[in-house]
Amino acid sequence: MPKTILIVDDDPNIRDYLETLLSDNGYDTLTAENGEKALEVLAANTPDLITLDIEMPERTGPWFNRALSRSKTQANIPIIVITGHVGLKYVIPTAVGSLSKPFEPAELLALVRETIGS
Amino acid sequence: MSERLLLVDDEEDIRRFLGLFLSDLGYEVHAAENGEKALEVFDTVQPSIVLTDIKMPVMDGLELLKRIKARSPDTEVVMISGHGDMDLAISCLQYEAADFVTKPINHDILDAALKRIDEKLAMRRELRRYTENLEKLVHEKSSRVVELERQLAAGQMVETMCQAISGLSADFGDGAGYFNEMPCFVAVHNRSLEVVATNQLYKERLGDMVGHHSWEVYVGQALRGFDGPVWKTFETGKGQRSRETMVCKNGNELPVMVHTSPIAATDGKVELVLEIAVDVSEIKRLQEELRVTQQKYMDLFEATPCYIAVRDRDYRVVANNTLYKTDFGEGVGQLCHQIFRHRDEPCPDCPVDATFADGEPHSLEAVVTCLDGQAKNVLTYSAPIRNATGEVVEVMALSTDITQIRELQDHLTSLGLMLGSISHGVKGMLTALEGGVYRLESGIKRGDQGRIGDAADTIKALVGRVRNLMLNVLYYAKSRDMVGEPVEVSYLAKNVAQIVEPKAAREHIAFTADIPENLGEAALDTANLSAALVNILENAIDACVADTSKPSHAITFSVMATDAAVVFDITDNGMGMSQETREKAFTLFFSSKGLKGTGLGLFIAHDVVKKHRGTIELTSEPGVGTKFHIRLPWAG
Repeated sequence: MPKTILIVDDDPNIRDYLETLLSDNGYDTLTAENGEKALEVLAANTPDLITLDIEMPERTGPWFNRALSRSKTQANIPIIVITGHVGLKYVIPTAVGSLSKPFEPAELLALVRETIGS
Repeated sequence: MSERLLLVDDEEDIRRFLGLFLSDLGYEVHAAENGEKALEVFDTVQPSIVLTDIKMPVMDGLELLKRIKARSPDTEVVMISGHGDMDLAISCLQYEAADFVTKPINHDILDAALKRIDEKLAMRRELRRYTENLEKLVHEKSSRVVELERQLAAGQMVETMCQAISGLSADFGDGAGYFNEMPCFVAVHNRSLEVVATNQLYKERLGDMVGHHSWEVYVGQALRGFDGPVWKTFETGKGQRSRETMVCKNGNELPVMVHTSPIAATDGKVELVLEIAVDVSEIKRLQEELRVTQQKYMDLFEATPCYIAVRDRDYRVVANNTLYKTDFGEGVGQLCHQIFRHRDEPCPDCPVDATFADGEPHSLEAVVTCLDGQAKNVLTYSAPIRNATGEVVEVMALSTDITQIRELQDHLTSLGLMLGSISHGVKGMLTALEGGVYRLESGIKRGDQGRIGDAADTIKALVGRVRNLMLNVLYYAKSRDMVGEPVEVSYLAKNVAQIVEPKAAREHIAFTADIPENLGEAALDTANLSAALVNILENAIDACVADTSKPSHAITFSVMATDAAVVFDITDNGMGMSQETREKAFTLFFSSKGLKGTGLGLFIAHDVVKKHRGTIELTSEPGVGTKFHIRLPWAG
């Protein structure tokens, strides 16, 4: 059963990119364009990993993370932060890793594999 | 010349006979019958000899003797005494009678007595004459001595004074170098215009002039004679001051400054003149040095490309340089804060006040306005000016124009800000671009045409966005002067339309370009103006894409020409702008497009239009659409 990754980013090009990249490497993907939409997706699904952008309109990454942490069942889903901001690694203290845009695809894949396997 | 003789006897016969006898002897005889009468005659005649009987009525001979001696002690009185008068006669001797003869008078004895008296008188006269001569001689000689003594004293005084001056200059030590070296010739002159005393230096340099004429040491005065400062001092009784030339003993001429001072005796008459001559060649050299130094200072003061003003504790400007005067007006005498900062009260953060307080330099940045209305950023440094005791008496304020630096700084800061703010967007763009490339490669690997086409579109769009961004950044970063070249407006507009058409088509937006032919030629910065129009058109496209309320969208781009200007109109029926968005549309870094916008596009478009001396107007209604109206005057 392939692992599922939820991609949260407001830029459709980046969502497309991550979708293609991750599915090419054997993962199923879900997408959401902001924090609120991401919660909607989580209401119906439980992904194995979440990639999270920080700066998004409507609801930001940190907001989403706080909301997620209140969940009884999904608070432990690992999060990888992918952001254009530098130095925001500690905004999501529970993230397993943080990559800054533009990121090395190999680096992301390695981190994903490390966290949830392939 | 006959001696005058007064004969006093109460007997007339004796007076007659004795009188005759005495006349024969050669005397001028006057007679009186008693003492009282005798005194009357005595007072008028003033005889040198009196011959008097002792016993007489009214006043006797003794009384007469006393009286005469009282009047004139030198008058010789001979007493005529009778036999019984011997004691009386002798006591007359006690009263300084010269002699006595007894009655009856023996003519020979009388003759002899008178002769003795004559001799005595003669001797007395002789003695008197000698005495008078001697007194006169003594008086003369002692005057001369006094005069010599005075001259000597004056000379000594001069020497002492010179020694004192040397001593003083020794006290000054190194601090008064030139004073030590200053030669000072001192001489004293008398009324005969002779030199009576000189100081050591005078002797060494000018020669031993004591006894010579006062004018001999001066050049040319031997010919002029009596005209020099020494002579003038004697004439006028007042000290003189004049520039002269003296001759050294080796023949060299020496420029000197001569001061003279009269030395008067107790009666006020000028007896001596003190002459002090100072070699001015050294002073002239020092004056020249001083002048050159002062000139250098003035040059520096004027040539420095800063505003320089010096003020005192009362805020009065005491000096300012030309640049200051040009931009703020003549400051000397004015209150600093009024003329420099146009304030009625002293400036609260004045660095000059701080320097007056602690003697240290201080600085302050401020904005000042020149006489021509131009505002400038200046940085003012204050430096203390101290007096001899080290107190700060004035402070100099040096102000540098840093307007250009500040403008540059602002520019760089906003550039930095801009770069910082767009970096996030840029990173997103780059990631998306990389994503497009990845998907392209992946599509090719899998033979997935759909994916390939999709990826290619993404790449194209993103490259376009990166290009725009870079061009905008470059436009903003470099000099933003417009380079206007003549261009046919229709041609420019058609080019713009061509660039935009494909993108509009891709987004399924109806694009109408209404561009008449031959609108005319204008001097325009083609590249920048085109970029600005493209920017606005692409915004219109984005607005249409973002608008989900309408089924279809349309953009029109129309150009027309009036007599005064070229007019561009761009309208769309996209999402429109709220009031806030409209108000901030042209400001820097405001973007309503979230991460997609850079905040530069409309700012630069507005800047370009402004540089063409044109205007750009924006009308919009949320949910309805937006219109941009750009007007560029032909002559712009």
